[in-house]
Amino acid sequence: MTEITKSKDLGNGWVELNIGPQHPSTHGVLRLKVKLDGEIIREVEPVIGYLHRNAEKICELDYYCDSLIYFDRMDYVGAMNMEVGYLEAAEKLLGIPPPERVKWIRVIMAELSRIAAHLVWAGAFGLDLGMLTPFFYCFIEREKILRVFTETCGSRQETNYMSIGGVYQDFNDKIVYDIEEFIEQFPAKLEVIFNAYVKNDIFISRNKGIGILEPEVAISYGVTGPMLRASGIDYDVRKAEPYLVYDKVNFDIPVSYKKDNLARFLVRFEEMRQSIKIIGQAIKKIPDGPYFNPKAKKSLMIRLRGEGETYARTESPKGEFGVYLVGDGGVKPYRVRVRSPSFKNLSVLPVLAKDVMIADMVAISGTIDLVFGEVDR
Amino acid sequence: MVEILEESRGKDGRRILKVARENLVALMANLKDQGFDHLSLITGVDRKDRLEVVYHIHSLKKNEYIVVKTETLDERVPSLTSLYDSANWDEREQYDLMGIIFEGHPNLKRMFLPENWAGHPLRKNYDLLKVQYINMDENGEDYATFDSGDGW
Repeated sequence: MTEITKSKDLGNGWVELNIGPQHPSTHGVLRLKVKLDGEIIREVEPVIGYLHRNAEKICELDYYCDSLIYFDRMDYVGAMNMEVGYLEAAEKLLGIPPPERVKWIRVIMAELSRIAAHLVWAGAFGLDLGMLTPFFYCFIEREKILRVFTETCGSRQETNYMSIGGVYQDFNDKIVYDIEEFIEQFPAKLEVIFNAYVKNDIFISRNKGIGILEPEVAISYGVTGPMLRASGIDYDVRKAEPYLVYDKVNFDIPVSYKKDNLARFLVRFEEMRQSIKIIGQAIKKIPDGPYFNPKAKKSLMIRLRGEGETYARTESPKGEFGVYLVGDGGVKPYRVRVRSPSFKNLSVLPVLAKDVMIADMVAISGTIDLVFGEVDR
Repeated sequence: MVEILEESRGKDGRRILKVARENLVALMANLKDQGFDHLSLITGVDRKDRLEVVYHIHSLKKNEYIVVKTETLDERVPSLTSLYDSANWDEREQYDLMGIIFEGHPNLKRMFLPENWAGHPLRKNYDLLKVQYINMDENGEDYATFDSGDGW
């Protein structure tokens, strides 16, 4: 076995060091080649591809309805959002719009999934900075969401709940009751987690003013999602190009003008509060009706043919998730292309982590919210 | 003024502009001046006899969206790294998986796969049955081999 984390002297007093790919603070299989001047990082080059499965090629070899499970495995902590993203594109291409009830169900599930994804981030970010306690509180809350998922579709994380033109199973009274119970008790629990962070002086001093991301840099690098909003740009796909029924619910987009680590932290926490607001409205407004489009019955599913091209954008927990589908009139897509937000957000790390301490770089990469299923696809 | 070969609308209602490869950079610079500041996605599509490159750009302020397409017969298109920083990684990814050579890119290396990987997986003529193994050298860099080697 070769030793991978050995350092190399570069001559001018700088040292080259490998961090990762198997390192507890890299959130998966991220490898960073850093050039150090003492304890200060002068250059950093992310090396990715350790979780690369080429989902785009696998999707080309499968029917339209089968590709969904590979999308679950992209952002595996917020799988429902990935499903919504793929189906937005596929349903437009195949011409099978979902019924009204399905749209509301999808909004509820996507927002629950967004909270679950942000809770994983919140816990893991604490671990990056050496705080163990909030991690457990985050996962207790996340477990309640996963239990709702288990009840609806029989699976915790890679749910595979939605399908073309509908969902796998309808909501029953028990599920509605469970979701209502969750959103009733969650805000108080969220404040406990929030206070565990912001009332800690060490946490504040390690994040305030660290990792400043200027808005022009963020736009040029294609950064989206909470990272862009923490740099002072009021942009959310749910408002800019509403999909499903996001134009029928009331919610605000949190924006911060401080541009640093703490701003990204605060934006994500406020997003969770807004998600609760969305679910609270949606669960009351959800109409009766069928839970799938009869044109997309199970027996007809593999015969669906698509022609032309379509691009759909959705707001995933990490940012703007886009799916570009090209069909040639066959039963399988001709080309599937995924715009994964984490990939673009990671590309800005060499700018953010220039001339900072090595411990701060861990905090900065923590606020990017990386999920490697999505970066490498 | 840049010559547009064809203008159409996709199934989702987005405006699609088709442009010759020579005019791509001029058109993109023109669009960037008009406020299209966000290069969202670069996609290569293998049309068997030619390669198509699709650029999705949008304007955050005006909330408009445009799709720009160009075609190439010899796998070469000009790089957009001088206009958008996000083109850097996207072009590396398309070079890796689709085999499009972006002329003028400062660091055109493979994004995901080892440097000596044979073939570009997203091409339609890529041989899926050929097995390649990934090994690691003493510097921690990956390399591909056709036999299983010591690492396995």
